[in-house]
Amino acid sequence: MKILVCVTSVPDTTTKITFTDNNTKFNKAGVQFITGPYDDYALARAVELKEKLGGTVTVLNVGEADTEPVIRKCLAIGADDAIRVNADPTDAFFVAEQIAAIAKENKYDLILMGRESIDYNGGQVHGIVGELLGMPSISPVMQLDIDGDTARIVREIEGGKESLEAKLPLVLGCQEPIAEWKIPNMRGIMTARTKPLKVVEPTSKDTLTNVSGYELPAPRGNVKMIPADQVETLIQLLRTEAKVI
Amino acid sequence: MATPYFSKRNLQFLLHEVFRAEELTQYEYFSAHDRETFNLALDSATSIADTLMHPYLKEIDKNQPELRNGQVTVHPKVRDYLKAMGDAGLIGAGFSFEHGGQQLPELISSSIGFILMAANNGMMYTGLTSGAAHLITSFGSPELQAAYVPNMLAGTWQGTMALTEPQAGSSLSDVSTTAYPQPDGSYKIKGQKVFISAGDHDATDNIIHLMLARIEGAPRGTKGISLFVVPKYRLDGTDNDVTSTGIYHKMGQHGVPAMHLTMGERDDCIGYLVGEPHHGLPYMFQMMNEARIGVGMTAAAIATAAYHAALQYARERPQSRRLNEKSQLDSPQTPIINHPDVRRMLLFQKAVTEGSLSLLLEAARLYDISQVAEGDEKENAFLLLDLLMPMAKSYPSEMGVQSVSQSVQTFGGYGYTEDFPVEQLYRDIRITPIYEGTTGIQAQDLLGRKMTMKGGKAPQLLFAEISKTIAEAGTFDDLKPYADQLTAELKRTQDVMMALMPHAQQGNIERYLSDATLFLDLMGIVVVAWQWLKQAVVAKQALLTQNPQGDELAFYEGKIHTMKFFFHYEVPKTLGLAVRLKDTEVLTIVSEKELAL
Repeated sequence: MKILVCVTSVPDTTTKITFTDNNTKFNKAGVQFITGPYDDYALARAVELKEKLGGTVTVLNVGEADTEPVIRKCLAIGADDAIRVNADPTDAFFVAEQIAAIAKENKYDLILMGRESIDYNGGQVHGIVGELLGMPSISPVMQLDIDGDTARIVREIEGGKESLEAKLPLVLGCQEPIAEWKIPNMRGIMTARTKPLKVVEPTSKDTLTNVSGYELPAPRGNVKMIPADQVETLIQLLRTEAKVI
Repeated sequence: MATPYFSKRNLQFLLHEVFRAEELTQYEYFSAHDRETFNLALDSATSIADTLMHPYLKEIDKNQPELRNGQVTVHPKVRDYLKAMGDAGLIGAGFSFEHGGQQLPELISSSIGFILMAANNGMMYTGLTSGAAHLITSFGSPELQAAYVPNMLAGTWQGTMALTEPQAGSSLSDVSTTAYPQPDGSYKIKGQKVFISAGDHDATDNIIHLMLARIEGAPRGTKGISLFVVPKYRLDGTDNDVTSTGIYHKMGQHGVPAMHLTMGERDDCIGYLVGEPHHGLPYMFQMMNEARIGVGMTAAAIATAAYHAALQYARERPQSRRLNEKSQLDSPQTPIINHPDVRRMLLFQKAVTEGSLSLLLEAARLYDISQVAEGDEKENAFLLLDLLMPMAKSYPSEMGVQSVSQSVQTFGGYGYTEDFPVEQLYRDIRITPIYEGTTGIQAQDLLGRKMTMKGGKAPQLLFAEISKTIAEAGTFDDLKPYADQLTAELKRTQDVMMALMPHAQQGNIERYLSDATLFLDLMGIVVVAWQWLKQAVVAKQALLTQNPQGDELAFYEGKIHTMKFFFHYEVPKTLGLAVRLKDTEVLTIVSEKELAL
């Protein structure tokens, strides 16, 4: 079983977001980066499947050199090797193109990733990768078991769950509770230093989108307490201030 | 959002910018590591702290361990935590490769301890185990090591330090637990131990006590005490006649049972000698620096968690208007962080907690160098460490209590309730000036031994190190006044020593040490001032060379601002201490009648 796990390097959830260059660039200074939490679920399940079925787990990241600590952490968790496509992950299509190019070269049985990154939360990459590779793409996957060349999958759908079976190879966007996050152990941390991390250049530097500008949402207002017997006041405020009805 | 309990940014600043952790990897012993392995180890500890410890802070406090029918039950999450720590390899991370560890420097291991204890100090189990296992790997036979250490480092067996007895607390020379030699080389143990943290519980499959006892017929006093491994269950699984005869219900740290143990009620408690007979106390004391760094870290961690809770509250809690806008009753109330007195309390907490952490990491770095360097470098590091230890243990714990008190104060009435964590943390931290040698014992150690050992070489080394920082700070115009102030403090310290020394030279040790705790207070302020100046120099260099923006700019500027606070608010306290220490009026060495208490 050859598994490719695509991971993102994203700002820690407690980061205060600021922009530079006239609000056209995200300010990375002082920001703590982490592995995308949904990608972490995908990696944890990949490592479990490898332990159960044998095979290899390769981690892929599209990012510049500053993402390598995140990649090393994935290696410490149990991936066997890693590939970094040396490029700024500008948009979903660009990232998907890079993943597809690597996948075409190496023929994986499973391509796992988080259902979405937690920086831009696009949730598009797995779908585009599937399309580019001509493989089924399923998301958000909550449960995954492999039986021979068949994947048994449970995914979340509106108001419930859907059980599926599909033949490998597949592209899957993962979420909890597919596996429990794994905490790297010291042995893994030490061996990660010597695991191969290959850096490759992107297939092309062209992107289809450009950022015109970023804007932060308005800060949350203070809570207004309305006495329970003043429903009319509440309705009026919902109309005139909150403008939600 | 959950309340943050420590600042990752501050820890990274201290480890990598102030203490340059990666430089330790130049020593052969640490050469398998790099900055990334250090950070990954800290990340793993943070993950465990975030998921298995911090969420249970209150729950563990409210559900104290109980002793029922001879069995001690602790919170079920303790087992999960111990398993996670064992699986992650973090209990033995600082042990050598040979002993199943990863040769992580104490600088990093103690930082891991800081994170864990900031998250939930009520789960203080693994530090005890690694301390006990370290005694076995340092002094025990290969057989003892093979039999006990692997399960301890895996988190499936608990380790304890079984020292204290009802009549032998600070005075360990009065230990009376007795070991009777047996023909097979083992010993039968009889006696009682009290206050044994994690001395019995159901979160591990066995409890391994590292116990001080006196071999039958051994000389009285400190020279007749030996160290034993005394398991709860023997290797074949049979009960070893270690009985839990009582459990203490403590003021804080409710997650860890403090046990009263009785050995040999059925005359069937077997112990195994560690190292040579009668060397128990020297063995223990060789491990004492590590243990005291651990207690200091626990105090700094608890105070840090309380500070972050208070800081968050102060930013969110609106109350009253600014003092110059008191009459503007139609304007909204301002968050309390805008009141100068609240800011003073917060700056005090930041100055104490981040200054304490810096001092402890300095000590941990010296510990590492004292272990792996050669020649003069090794000896000097050891001497400096030895001198700093009383301050590194006592300042964080004594001042930590005051800091958490100010955290409670920041919350006002809410701080006194169970709605916020600070009331618990205030109870929890109170033990730290008592653990591992009370403040009084530390003070006697500092003034009675450390200041004068090797002809006063240790203080000379310390003053030389502080002078290096003073010289660096003196090159920046805005830091120079503080460098000069610290120079004056060194002079003040020397003056105090000059005033005290004649008492020691005349053999009047009681007088010499009568106010040793005040001398410890004075030295604590001086070395923490040194740490703040050191941090300010690094922050200043970053401001000048890295052009930081946003939060980074605020972080570095905040470091310099807090240094100034420490020098303007805390350092002047040395004046009063010095006056008292040089005072010729002695009020504590008088007859009981004159004392009239």
